[in-house]
Amino acid sequence: MSAEAIQVRSLTELDLDGIVRIGEKTRNRYEPDLWEGRVTYYLRRAPEGSVVAEMDGEVAGFMLGDIRSGEFGIEEQCGWIEVMGVDPDCAGKGVGRALAEEILKRYTARGVRKVRTMVDSSMPDVEAFFARLGFEVDTLRSYCMTLGESRN
Amino acid sequence: MATTTTEIPRKFHQAVEKWRDTYLPDFAYLMENWDRYFPRDDPFRLCAYRECGMPCSIECGEDQGKPKYTRACDMKPDAARHLVSAIRAQASTEFGSIQQHQLTLARAQDEEEQAMVLRMMAEELRHGYQMLHLLTDDDWQPVTGQTQEQTVEEILSMKTGSHVLGAFNIDFESFVDNIVFCALIDRVGKYQLSLQKVSAYSPMADSMPQMLREEAFHLATGVVPLRRWVVKAAAGSPMITMEVIQKHLNKWVPRAYEMFGDERGGATNVKWGLKPMKNAESQDQYAKECTKVVRDLNMRYLRARLPELTLADADAGLATLERDHGSFQGVKFEELLRLPHREYGRRRGVPAFSWVGVDGERFESIEVYLQHLTRTLPDGYRATRDFQDFVENLQAVARGEKTADEAQKSMPQLRRVGGVCPCSKSVRWVAEEAIELPVSAVGA
Repeated sequence: MSAEAIQVRSLTELDLDGIVRIGEKTRNRYEPDLWEGRVTYYLRRAPEGSVVAEMDGEVAGFMLGDIRSGEFGIEEQCGWIEVMGVDPDCAGKGVGRALAEEILKRYTARGVRKVRTMVDSSMPDVEAFFARLGFEVDTLRSYCMTLGESRN
Repeated sequence: MATTTTEIPRKFHQAVEKWRDTYLPDFAYLMENWDRYFPRDDPFRLCAYRECGMPCSIECGEDQGKPKYTRACDMKPDAARHLVSAIRAQASTEFGSIQQHQLTLARAQDEEEQAMVLRMMAEELRHGYQMLHLLTDDDWQPVTGQTQEQTVEEILSMKTGSHVLGAFNIDFESFVDNIVFCALIDRVGKYQLSLQKVSAYSPMADSMPQMLREEAFHLATGVVPLRRWVVKAAAGSPMITMEVIQKHLNKWVPRAYEMFGDERGGATNVKWGLKPMKNAESQDQYAKECTKVVRDLNMRYLRARLPELTLADADAGLATLERDHGSFQGVKFEELLRLPHREYGRRRGVPAFSWVGVDGERFESIEVYLQHLTRTLPDGYRATRDFQDFVENLQAVARGEKTADEAQKSMPQLRRVGGVCPCSKSVRWVAEEAIELPVSAVGA
């Protein structure tokens, strides 16, 4: 299928079923409660900040994000790409790129100058995806501590 | 995508705040607990938003391509009259829905669902405020014959029963109404707002984007709890059943269809560039969307009933149930939800007062049809004045005492009578022979 067949639009509550399906296909877990909470969160904050790609009338991918400031010492308005998913059946058809281009366009229109995301280094294909879009490794680093374990 | 914000003149702003204190008494609680329920979200503000950078040329109709109108006095008088009726009706629905939701807000069983509905009510208040902004920021007196004070007072004095559209004159009986109303009636509102986003009157068009952003959350406020309720129903919860949800779909869907206006109408809106679509076309799209909502709920139910199913098996199972109307691994078709037929329970539009059942079945006698209504509507609703009037008109049409057209015009309504006094005594039940139907309907 050609990239022209991909329609990207704002997230709506009608996309829940499609997003749950993609989550199930990519994570091998049926987690409707999780996605209902997340979609509600992004809808109530700014539905235009999150986008969904459709192919043949079905949800082929989604990218959930937000514009915020004042976190991690970042005072300027910053766009965040926080969750994304592409239906494995639609992989390699440009769905991820179409989603990213639309969300970056929207953030630009809202005056955002920097967009951030976080990628697990165990997912090199996702790292490569963002690198192809022009994302670079930032000075902001992720730190983590597991609670309840003895420390040296 | 910048927006400007403004407040309406102080006396009107204060009138809205006073209205809020009366009909939205939990507003202070919402503000006090905003960060608890909606952390990191921008705080609520009672103001009017206008989107910057919207199209400046008329987008449809006979004046397509010409500059949009920024003042009512520049519009054709008939178009301005048409538009101001739509703005008034829109304002009426926004304030009206708050009055309905307030009736049963306290009956919510889940604190999160209650908080979401409460926030939605506050945002509906802002939507009503937005419409008052349109009515007070321009001079409509040559069109309405009313001063701004009279117009605002008239809108703020409406109560359940005296609002412009039928869906806003029906009392809620339980929190199921709050949720189903958000999922179905607010969805009509989303359509109307989307259509009005292209309005030839630019202040109207510029008002829509922020309202649409907020409306997206209102729909989730309905759909997400419904998705969770069908899971409870699947588990055999005594709190909610699929039958109860189905009966509430039956109660509200006919009113939703009617909010689009008569199926034969809407051409005038298109001609004047106020909306890009006729009533029937919008209604078709709405029906398609509701069909998806219902199917998604059924899928959620089926997977809760049969948690061992894979996604592919669940898809196949639901398809089998929909095709054969039989059973699948112990789940019967009758357990699932279905969207009521477009002609079921209608009192306005082409199918008004026809004897059509939930599944489109046709009845030979009014007695059998009334039994069908008895079985398919919520018990509490059947005890209301609204249902009584519907039944009486159905019977009058059946006896040949009225045509369906006469019946839809003579449905008694609570209406404001006399003066502009906001006192509720000026609102009472009135049966008129020729209540003028709104040419174009709008929604919350």
